[in-house]
Amino acid sequence: MISITGLRKSFGAATVLNGIDLEIRQGEVVSVLGSSGSGKSTLIRCINGLEKIDAGKITVDNFDVSKPRELSEARKRSGTVFQLFNLYPHMTAVQNVALAPIEVLKVPRKQAEAEARELLHSVGLTERADAYPSQLSGGQRQRVGICRALAMKPSYLLLDEVTSALDPEMTSEVLSILAKLAKGGTTMVFVTHEIEFARSISSRIAFLDKGQLIADLPTEDFFSATGMALPRVAQFLSKMRKD
Amino acid sequence: MRYGDFTPFDIILLLQGLGVSLALFVSTTLIGIVIGTAWAVIRFYRVPVLMQLVTFIAELLKNSPVLVQLFLVFFGLPAFLKINVTPTEAAVITLSGNSAAFIYVIAVSAIESVGRDQIEAARVFGLTRWQILRRVIAPQATAFAIGPLTGLLVNQVQVTSLISVIGVMDLTKVGNILNLRTLKPFLVWTAVGLLYYLTAKLVTYAGARFEKRLRAHTAWKGL
Amino acid sequence: MKFDLSILAKHIPFLLEGAWLTLHACALAVVGSLVLGLVIGAMRTSASPLLNRLAAVYIDIFRNIPFIVQLFFFYFGLPEIGIYIDAFTTGVVALSIAGGAFTSDVIRSGILAIDPGVIEAAQVSGLRKITIFRKIILPIALRASVRPLGSVFINLILTSSILSTITLNELTGSAKIVASNTFRPFEVYFVLLVAYAALTYAVSILIGMLHRYLNRHQEEGAV
Repeated sequence: MISITGLRKSFGAATVLNGIDLEIRQGEVVSVLGSSGSGKSTLIRCINGLEKIDAGKITVDNFDVSKPRELSEARKRSGTVFQLFNLYPHMTAVQNVALAPIEVLKVPRKQAEAEARELLHSVGLTERADAYPSQLSGGQRQRVGICRALAMKPSYLLLDEVTSALDPEMTSEVLSILAKLAKGGTTMVFVTHEIEFARSISSRIAFLDKGQLIADLPTEDFFSATGMALPRVAQFLSKMRKD
Repeated sequence: MRYGDFTPFDIILLLQGLGVSLALFVSTTLIGIVIGTAWAVIRFYRVPVLMQLVTFIAELLKNSPVLVQLFLVFFGLPAFLKINVTPTEAAVITLSGNSAAFIYVIAVSAIESVGRDQIEAARVFGLTRWQILRRVIAPQATAFAIGPLTGLLVNQVQVTSLISVIGVMDLTKVGNILNLRTLKPFLVWTAVGLLYYLTAKLVTYAGARFEKRLRAHTAWKGL
Repeated sequence: MKFDLSILAKHIPFLLEGAWLTLHACALAVVGSLVLGLVIGAMRTSASPLLNRLAAVYIDIFRNIPFIVQLFFFYFGLPEIGIYIDAFTTGVVALSIAGGAFTSDVIRSGILAIDPGVIEAAQVSGLRKITIFRKIILPIALRASVRPLGSVFINLILTSSILSTITLNELTGSAKIVASNTFRPFEVYFVLLVAYAALTYAVSILIGMLHRYLNRHQEEGAV
């Protein structure tokens, strides 16, 4: 379980997250929605320890991410996929995927690379396994990014606007993989702008507005009268649908 | 006082050496700027033969040790041309040539930093090549060149130390003399090093100040 | 006086011996400055203010004091504190220390140019700091730094001529001996100048090839 209580985070004078309480249980797919600047990405960056939190507590399977000793355990349990892929430019797709298993989990190189190929095969990159990131399209890069996160067999997958740097065609190839993962029971925290897709795969929606969690509802409730009763949610949904 | 100890006079000796180093640095830099810029202008006008010659000489000077250049001028020229070359003359010739080669490179890229479109626009307005060079290119190129030039000058201060090898009484030569007399190498070379260090810092500081003033001139001041 | 190179023919083996010593010293100094440059460069980019400051001081000192002064400091100074090493070792050590300052600057900008997102990806996948440095930061920074490192190493070759001032008969030192034996300093130093230029030119071609080889996958449309 990922448990977030009383999370506060500010950058200088700007408070980005202001008292967030959220729990994500094994098997859930939680989409985090909200307009840009609402603090969605920062939330993910707090969970994986890339940002130091100012107050509150975040634990991943009871490991406290603000304690350096426990952070590495917490990180082993969660995998992150980034908006801009952040692949290692000097390594092939296979090497990108196999690096952490080899170095962190001490999996023998041969085995790790075989598993990496398997993963790449499952996302349709069998042919591109030995290509370097610069030789791949955006959608292919992001698929490698997903494999890299999955290679650590994480309990939780953290997805930070993973399609916002992609054009529509590539977006759909990435989303279809995520849908498959969701169906397979992977726990996901999904920060996104893709409302319709979020609706189709999530069990729950968390809605952030100006650093506060103003809705945390089962998906069907969020998109029905319960959600619409919240003015900010209604406003957000109607605006997003218009675009 | 035992022979071999430091005397108060040694400080004057060191400062004298520093003076010689500085004088050679300043004079050869000025000569280098004139020659280097002239070479760059030759390239700008694409003067045939001369342009290739200049590029070749600059490459040769940039890619060979200053010490060897110094030996060629100080030992080689007198033997070859049967002329007399004093250590100071050899130092001035070598350091000027070496500075010129590096300043040439900076000047060329500074000229190139001024966009071709500007030069073409100026030509459309009927400016002559010389007018374009003076009114359009020179002011902008100077602003561009100050940064790299400062870096070069800090380096050239240090290059002057090599003339001690042919016997010019510069700061390093004074260090050699004091080193032999006092047999206190750590003290002597630390003092010498410190003086060079301060000089280099002074050049860096002056370059930054100059750049700031130049930029203030060219900066957009609003309506 | 006529320009006669044939007189040098019988001295070529001796000069080649000197050239070999130069290459030997430079090869060792390249390794030395790479190692030092990596350590100092890593310190310079580390989060610890103390390490950062120490590295900055190191770079500042050795970049702003002439190499010949540094060399004399070690050559005359070390025996003073009971360390007796030969001229060759002293030269290699001094070259490595000075080269390390320049190398670390290159490494530092190579590290700073890495997309922080790539490092974050490595952090969240649970890699240890040392692994991130070895497997991610270093390979990326080194690939990007091949050309500027090449310039540093070419400078190292040119600077190594100064080792002749501490009785080391490397290329320049041997040439000095030949010049005084043949009374043909002009020819000798002219050939020497061309030899250094050819040597550095060859090295720069090798560096270009290495750069293209190491970055062969980064060419096409990298983000």
